[in-house]
Amino acid sequence: MFDMRNVFPTTAPPSPKQNLLLATLSDETYRRLLPSLEGVPLPLGMVLYESGGTQGHVYFPTDSIVSLLYVLADGASAEIAVTGFEGLVGIALFMGGETTPSRAVVQSAGHGYRLRASVCRAQFDANPELQHLLLRFTQALITQMTQTAVCNRHHSIDQQLCRWLLLSLDRLKGDHLTMTQELIANMLGVRREGVTEAASRLQADGLIDYRRGHIHVTDRNRLEARVCECYGVVKREYDRLLPSPRTAQTAAIG
Amino acid sequence: MAAILNSLLAALPHKSYQRMLSGLAPVTLTFGDILYHPGDTIRDVFFPIESLVSLLTPVDGHLALEVGMVGREGMVGVPLALGIGVSSVRALVQGAGPALKMSADRFRTELHAIPALQTEVNLYVHTLMAQISQTAACNRFHVVEARLARWLLMTRDRVRSGTFRMTHEFLSHMLGVRRVGVTEAATALQRRRLIEYSRGSIKILDHAGLEAACCDCYTVVRDMHDGVVYSKIPAPSFVEARLSSAA
Repeated sequence: MFDMRNVFPTTAPPSPKQNLLLATLSDETYRRLLPSLEGVPLPLGMVLYESGGTQGHVYFPTDSIVSLLYVLADGASAEIAVTGFEGLVGIALFMGGETTPSRAVVQSAGHGYRLRASVCRAQFDANPELQHLLLRFTQALITQMTQTAVCNRHHSIDQQLCRWLLLSLDRLKGDHLTMTQELIANMLGVRREGVTEAASRLQADGLIDYRRGHIHVTDRNRLEARVCECYGVVKREYDRLLPSPRTAQTAAIG
Repeated sequence: MAAILNSLLAALPHKSYQRMLSGLAPVTLTFGDILYHPGDTIRDVFFPIESLVSLLTPVDGHLALEVGMVGREGMVGVPLALGIGVSSVRALVQGAGPALKMSADRFRTELHAIPALQTEVNLYVHTLMAQISQTAACNRFHVVEARLARWLLMTRDRVRSGTFRMTHEFLSHMLGVRRVGVTEAATALQRRRLIEYSRGSIKILDHAGLEAACCDCYTVVRDMHDGVVYSKIPAPSFVEARLSSAA
């Protein structure tokens, strides 16, 4: 479902409808939100929220990926979920939390649209269609978080790296990722050497090509064969819970 | 009249709470019962009172990991409130005791009828997600002994008793470690006179000492749930009757 090439074949500048949630809304709801949607560039490493901070906006990524990291009291952090064009970042805002429990960092540069907190809350409360869609997305996100937790605990760094690469690829056009090993290490909550070793093994086996912060996935099929079940569980759950790209594409065209 | 209650229900306005009560049936959850398997249709939701339900994500056929813990601060079956009728986790009764049960159909009806219910459940889901994230990060970085101490205190807070049943196998799923790892951690805590562990039963001997042995995650999660207002609304009489007969 998440191959952007099937969904949005153009290379035109991102429209709000490149975000799956926005693309799924009825014309009426979409038109109501549109004047409040503000297009923003999301450069690599940009921090959208700090954990414990308040949120001014929710973000709908279009061609970027945002990583949600949980930060412990002692400063250690681990990625608990990634969100790209299929979702939004900042659910605490409409779920009623005063502050966000995680840090949100742009993991793959691109763009997105943002909506002011007050507008988002008001629309969420007033519009059942929007509310249902965002709550469904919340359930999908919970599944990704729980699966990430179990994967981190039980699977090898190789498998976790494969999962991470596939989840990222599904949210991008093409098969290239721009990423330093240090950032990957932070995401996976492992030491840099661990990532280096895992990436070298994948490279030696011809699955990826890694150089100077660029990862090129050369054999996606074998990456899928090597990954643990966690990738498939999350993907199936997202397919089940979120609107299909076909619906989104129809909405984008219509 | 003791103010024992599920705090999610207690946070509802009085009228809504009364309305909910007519659809709630008291049940006693039994240790080891599975309320849902992943993929199961959710037929009932549960509001624990002095019981404890563990949310587990199974993996690789034989392993599992506890991703969240639900006691009187919350409810079991949150996907229903998010518009999904199927459970994504295994919900396992970890602490036997009373709970209130409502059918899925009735719960959906009440969600529509009582806007405050949706608001309260959303707020609870927010804290549950924070708990899930905290647990995930804690599992990643903290040593088994500190995690076991945290887990014991979280359990104690929810069942409101310092003694509970617990097998090595359960604990290994809870903490995501092998049974030998559980044995080592439990032995270490026992040697420090913080707990007593025998024949599937754990007794907390030194609460303050155990708190000192935990990672920070215990207080972080506790404070999250304490942010949810505990109401002083008395428990319905049928619950009190059940509790006093169980005591």
